This record gives sequence, C-alpha cells and structure tokens, in this order.
Amino acid sequence: MADLNISMTVNGRAVEKSAAAGSRLLDFIRNDLNLTGTKEGCGAGECGTCSVFVDGVLVKSCMVPVAKADGAEIETVEGLAPRRQMTPVQRAFHKTGASQCGYCIPGMVMAASATLRENPQADLEEIKQGLGGNICRCTGYQKIFEAVELARDVINGKVPETALDEDEVGESFIGANVRRLDAPSKVTGALRYAGDMVVPTMLHLQVLRSPHAHALIKSIDTSDAEAMAGVEAVVTAADIPGEDGYGVFVHDQPTLATDKVRYVGEAIAAVAAETEALARDAVKAIKIEYEELPAVFDPHEAMSGGPILHDYAQDNVTYHVPIRKGDVEKGFAEADVIVEQDYDTQPIEHAYLEPEAGLAYEEADGTITIHSPSQNITHHRHAASRILGMPVNKIRMIMSPVGGGFGGKEDMHYQCFLALAALKSGRPVRYVFTREESIIASAKRHGFKIRYKMGLKKNGRITATEMYMVSDGGAYGCSTEGVMRKSAILAAGPYDIPNVKVDTIGVYTNNTPAGAMRAFGALQSEFSTESHLDICAEKLGLDPFEIRRINMMQDGAITHTRQKLGSVSIGQVLDEAEKVSGWESGAPTVRGPVRKDLGGDGNREPCTLVPRHTTTASPEEEVA
Amino acid sequence: MLDCDQYLLPKSLDEAFGFLETHGDAAQIVAGATDLLPWAREGRAGDVHIPVLIDITRIPELNGVALEGNRLRLGAATVFQKFLKDSVLREHAPVMPHVAVWFADDQLRQSATIGGNLVNASPAADGTPGLMALDAELVLHSRTGGERRVNVTDFPTGPSFSVLNNGELIVAVEFDSAAEYGASFEKVGHRRSLVISTVCVATVLKLDEVGQNFEDVRIALAGVGPVPVRLSECEEMLSGKTVTAALIDAAAHLPIDRVQSRTRQDYRREVVVSFVRRGIVEALASIGCDVGPFETQELETANG
Repeated sequence: MADLNISMTVNGRAVEKSAAAGSRLLDFIRNDLNLTGTKEGCGAGECGTCSVFVDGVLVKSCMVPVAKADGAEIETVEGLAPRRQMTPVQRAFHKTGASQCGYCIPGMVMAASATLRENPQADLEEIKQGLGGNICRCTGYQKIFEAVELARDVINGKVPETALDEDEVGESFIGANVRRLDAPSKVTGALRYAGDMVVPTMLHLQVLRSPHAHALIKSIDTSDAEAMAGVEAVVTAADIPGEDGYGVFVHDQPTLATDKVRYVGEAIAAVAAETEALARDAVKAIKIEYEELPAVFDPHEAMSGGPILHDYAQDNVTYHVPIRKGDVEKGFAEADVIVEQDYDTQPIEHAYLEPEAGLAYEEADGTITIHSPSQNITHHRHAASRILGMPVNKIRMIMSPVGGGFGGKEDMHYQCFLALAALKSGRPVRYVFTREESIIASAKRHGFKIRYKMGLKKNGRITATEMYMVSDGGAYGCSTEGVMRKSAILAAGPYDIPNVKVDTIGVYTNNTPAGAMRAFGALQSEFSTESHLDICAEKLGLDPFEIRRINMMQDGAITHTRQKLGSVSIGQVLDEAEKVSGWESGAPTVRGPVRKDLGGDGNREPCTLVPRHTTTASPEEEVA
Repeated sequence: MLDCDQYLLPKSLDEAFGFLETHGDAAQIVAGATDLLPWAREGRAGDVHIPVLIDITRIPELNGVALEGNRLRLGAATVFQKFLKDSVLREHAPVMPHVAVWFADDQLRQSATIGGNLVNASPAADGTPGLMALDAELVLHSRTGGERRVNVTDFPTGPSFSVLNNGELIVAVEFDSAAEYGASFEKVGHRRSLVISTVCVATVLKLDEVGQNFEDVRIALAGVGPVPVRLSECEEMLSGKTVTAALIDAAAHLPIDRVQSRTRQDYRREVVVSFVRRGIVEALASIGCDVGPFETQELETANG
C-alpha cells in the first residue's frame, strides 16, 4: 500500500502526515493522530461511534477514505471544548447520567452537537432524528435525549447554566441524582478502552478462525506465516504450556482449537505482527487441513443421536436441571382445563458497542499483564494461571473500561492466546475484534424451545405446571450450566403451584456458543410463563391480572426449589402496573375495540414508523 | 479491509478519463464510498486490494444543481442530504426529500451520492425509484463514446448491473421540473434508520386544472424484484380518471404480481398494495387533495 501526503487541520491544529492510500479517515484519526475518542464500533457505517465533523459537516469517519479529507478542517470529540473543559452538551450528558458504558458517547455527543448547531431550538423529534445514526445499547436513549434537551435549554438561556451543576445530595443518596465519576472522561473521549491503548513496540494480533461448523483438524502448517518479515509470533494450541480448557462452569473450551473445531468462528491460530494488515496477510498464509464432520444445529436433534461434539458428553447434554415438586400427574388429573403450548426464543447478540479487545505484555519480572474488558477478572486470572502454567501471582488481569458487556464479556475467549503471543514474541501485543468477529466468535443468549403444560381449575387456580425446556448451548459450555439453573429456579414464576415439574436441558450443538446475557436464562422461561398465563386467562374468561392474583405467592411462600421467601411483592407490583397502565379489566376475549392502556392518559403512543419529511417545513426548520 | 496503491482525485472529466485509460482494469471508480467500504469486509468481499481508486466527487461537472427553463440538472456526485437542504431541489424534485429522509441517516447522506446509488444498482435502491417517478434522464459520458442519454428506467439491468459501459461515467441527472406535483415515498425495512428497503414506492402525480382528475401519475416500486420498476398498469388505470378511493384501491391491487423477490413474497405483496394506495393518498394530500375514507381498513402496525 502506497502512502498519501495528507495535510489538514484537526481541532484547530495543522497536521501534515503520510497515510496509507486506502486507509480511512477513522484510521488516520485513531492510529496516526492517536485521537482515540473517536471509536470504531462496527466499521460499516451503522453505529455512529466514529462520527466527526469534516468542514463542519458530521460524517461517519469509517465511511470516509482519508484522501477525501485532505485539506479539510476536522473536528473530533477532543476538540469540542478546550482541555479540561466541557461544552454544555458534554456537561448535560454528565448531569443526566447519559453516559453508561461510554463507548457510544463520543459519537452521541458529536451528533447532539451537530443537531443543536444546525438548529439550536431543535425539538425532541428533531433530536431523535439527529441521533438516528448513532446506536446506544445501555441507556435506552432516554437519558441521552434528556441530556440534549437540557443542553439546548441552557444554550438558549431557557434554564440557567447552574442546571448543569450537580444536584445537592441530602441525607441519603437514594433518590438523589448523583453524577458518575467517570462520565467526564467518557463525554470528552479521554477514556481509553483496551482497543485505544498504545504502548511502544506494540504488535497487532489477528486470528485464524474456523470456516467449518464441525471438522477434524488434520494438520496446521504455520511455516509460511512465520517466515514473513514483520511476523513476530504465531501461536497455536501446541504453544500452550499448561492445562488448557476454559469456561465459566465446565472447562471444555480450548484456548485455540486442538484436534477439532466445533463452530464457525472458533479460533485456531493467532499471529502477532508489526501491523494489523501484515497480521491479516500472515493469517491467510497459514495452511490447515480439515476433515469435515457431520454437524448438528438443532438441540433436539443433538440429543437424539446427532453427531457427538465432545467425547465426555455422548448425549450432547451440557447440563440438565430436573426439578420436581408434588405430583404433576395428580395435578393434571384434578384440573378442569389443561393448556399446552410450545414457545421458542432465539439466540441474541449482545451487540455491545465496544468489540472485544485486549493488550498483553510481559513485565521485567516475568509477570504477564493482560488488559481486557473482562467481566470476570478473578476467575479469568486463575484460569489463565492454569492454562499458561504460571503461578497466579505472575498473572495480572486488568479490567479495562467495559464498553458494554451485558454478560457477553464473562468468557475468556481471547485473553490467553493474546498473552501467549506476548510471551512468545517478547513484545506487547494488542488485539481488537472486528464487529463481524465479535458476532461470530463470542457467546450469545441461549435460544430455548419450551414445551409448556399447565392444569387449572375453572376459577383460575393452577393445579400443575410442567415445563420441558431445551436450550441450545452451542459448541461449548460457557455459562450454560448457570443459565440452566437460573432458568429452572425461576421457571414457573412467582406463583404458588402445588405440583411442578421443570426440566432445563442445555445441549451442545455446532452453533455459536451460548453464554451469559442479561437475566441469565430467566428471560426465556418468564417469557413462556407469562405468555402462558395470558393464554390461560383467555381460555378461562379471566382478567390477566386476576389469574395472576389468584395464583401469586404470598409472604412466607416456599418456592418449587424450597426457598422460603420472607416477603413477596408481586401483589404490589400487579396493583401498581394495573393502575399506571390504565388497564381495562376483563378477559382478553371481551376487550372492546378501544384500548385505554395503549396511548391512553399517562401512557405513551404505540410505536409507529412515520414519515419524517413534511413538505411544509422550510429547510431551516427541518432536520432529517 | 480495503487496500489500494493509489487513490486519485481527478479535478476534471478529462483527467478522470485519462486515469481510466492509463490504469484500465486496475482502476475502480469511487464516489461516496459508502457502498465500497462496507463491502470490503468479512462476510462480504473480505480483504480487497484495488490497485487504483479514482474518486470522481471533485469533478465540477458532477457537482452542482442548475435549473434551465423547466429542466433541472444535478451532478451525479450530489449527496442525498442535499435533496433535503437545497431549496431548488426541494421545489423541483418534490419526491426526493421524501426519499432522502428514509435513506441511511443524516451522516451517511452527507457522503452517499445519487450517482453511486444508481450505479450500485441494488434491487432495493431508494434513489432509483425516486428518479424513475421523476422520469429522469441520465447523462453518461465516456472518452470514446462521448455523451449519451439513458432513461433511468432503462439503466439498471439486474442486481449490481446496469447499461453503463467500461470507462463510462454518469455525469448528471436531468428531469423536467415537478414543482406543481404531489409526491410521496413509502418505505419499510427492519429498522427506521440505516436500513435497506424491503419494499419502497415512490409516487409523483398531478391533477388537472379542475383539481378532481388525475392528469399525470408516475409510480415506481423497488425491493420486490431484480430491478426497480415503473408501475405502468397503475398509472394507466388512474390517468384521466376522477380521484376516488375506490379507483385508488383498485389500482393498488394491480401490481401484486410484480413481486418476484427471493424471500417473503406474501408479506411483500401485502405491503405493495398498501404502499401504492397510501403513496397515492399521501402524494395527493401533499397538494391539498383529501381522498376521504377507504372501505378497506388500513392496518396500522409498527412497520407502518
């Protein structure tokens, strides 16, 4: 790749540097200028973490070849305010708690600034549209909108600047608006996530991943890659000094695949080289012979004689939680009505804005230090000690700022081979996943297939519940065991049911591994339980609130896993939900055409997608 | 990842054609780059090496908006955001602001060009049906063939293919002013912003002097077959007739068989009918014509 001479003004300073001809403005800002407040969340123009001003126009810098910006005036998040100061927009983000993980925030601040520069009077709808190209996965956007509206009102003098100051805290922090300590570093772009970290002599890591869902690895030939100038280390399973295998519960996942691969995207070899591009080329030079095996993608098929993934699990069952309370057959016999229904939930990608990343280096005393947005550093530290064959006091796991985790960063998918590359090369090594890699390689939410059977009396009293929940755990255990447990524990909901039979079965398939994600298995079982109660209410002609009140647990109840509950609040929750939703009482079947609980007093309008362009608005009034 | 040896920014058509001649097959034209960069990633083209990229966005002929008499000419490198912000374009190309608000997001609309959208020839392109409803003519230019003109309806020939020859550029887009016309654009995809159309319908129409009869109706549909199409059957049924809800409803049911997509055909058929109907109603509303209630009930869902 040849170089271009680029001269531009960046945050008011003249810049003259050469850049690779095909590189993007984003690469130039982050790598050549080391302005890492501008993030790369997707590299495909979707997420908005890389928004910058080019000649006063906000663009996504991952979609701009750097050559286009030659001669331009660039403004990044670092240039919005003088050092150690913040603009009203940044202060408002601090005030309202709009920055959580913070990874989307520089882009959000840029988009908010662009919106208010274009129209300082922008209303909420225009603000939403102005932020339409920026994705946040933490806040649900509400606090961000509040921040932009607050900033707008301060800028326009509608509210005093003191509105941006921290609220006074009285006797208790509970109920007080307390600002996050790390928010200023996030709204100014100063905070460095693992992928933003730079140390001298640092190498870049790239990974060879399996194109097959299930295959034997017959041979791995890294000699061509190792012979390339600038390639400092190639790591495979053969380099692992200790006892391999990681996982939150069962240590069934190899750091790098050994004799076989079990899902598309499984890591096989890693290359550390002087540049990322060189590392990518070297990955392509590694030769692997595979022998493809039959693969299984459906957990029911996997349980009934499908191809076996792991020798120790001949039935492909990762973990089975059977729970029995009373006698469900007796309960069904006593019932007036039996309602059966199947429920399917899909795997879900966490889509944290920060793709996985890490930086590892060896200290002078032989300690290996690993920075990564790990949600489980102590566990990772001990696992790394075993895998690397090093005493635990020589392993330093540093939790870098987590740009969104939601459970997806509990697994130690890359930290150990990153450490191995650093140990083997003797150089610091950084690894940043692409968005595509993040999606194919790391664990997702479990998809469930739930067979539900419930017996009820005509008055709505549940006599028995039977739930058979088969869950796709993918190729490795990750958090499956814990997810199965939690799903089983919460399965039947907060209802006092005399006879309960619950089975949750996590199954190995050749799909992407499933792991922890918000609610950890409860979401899937509660989705089925609450949906089922609505169906039962309809069949029995009962109000959905009523059927829940008839069956809800009371203070002192004993759950189907024999936990005694001191106080039970579901009654209060139902009362409040019924009140604030404007619920129209009655069975679902007798509900009239007008729903007061949808868009009624105190309720928001139902979601619709409306065209935003109006022919009457002048260009000045319009923000698309 | 994208990699190139040279990134050239010609300042004139002549210079661009010179680069194309010099580099031949090694060269690829780039405009906004918003299709090229996401294409050069894992899962699509992967790592791509293009020896020479020729960026045509700084060529004067490809920029600017000019109204000569009743004829509007805009450079092929016009970015989509300009359809919302340029007062001449807003007045004379009334369907394009509706297209633009549904196109990507504010930021990408500052990079993505109308010419790029045409040449990319996506079956789900948003700009192409808009220009079809404007009866646009594309001005193509090559060093050997000089200038030629092609109606936009004849331009795309299939997904990613068009009548554009090697060494030829779209220089400009021309059409008669539609200043007095009503216009609308209906689109549905998986999300609100940054989404590829599952179905989209562009409508441009005019009533006669009495204000009760359709005089000129142009409707274009995309996302349901290999190329965007004009719905001549609807246009013919409506032209010259009195505006009634029943007539519009009948016309909306004509293009059902146009759906030839590879997936979700039943869904798309349902959407096409309601989009054509709603597109006509909204285009009429934009010139102050209220059609009144329909017999068939419009289903209001989150997807519009």
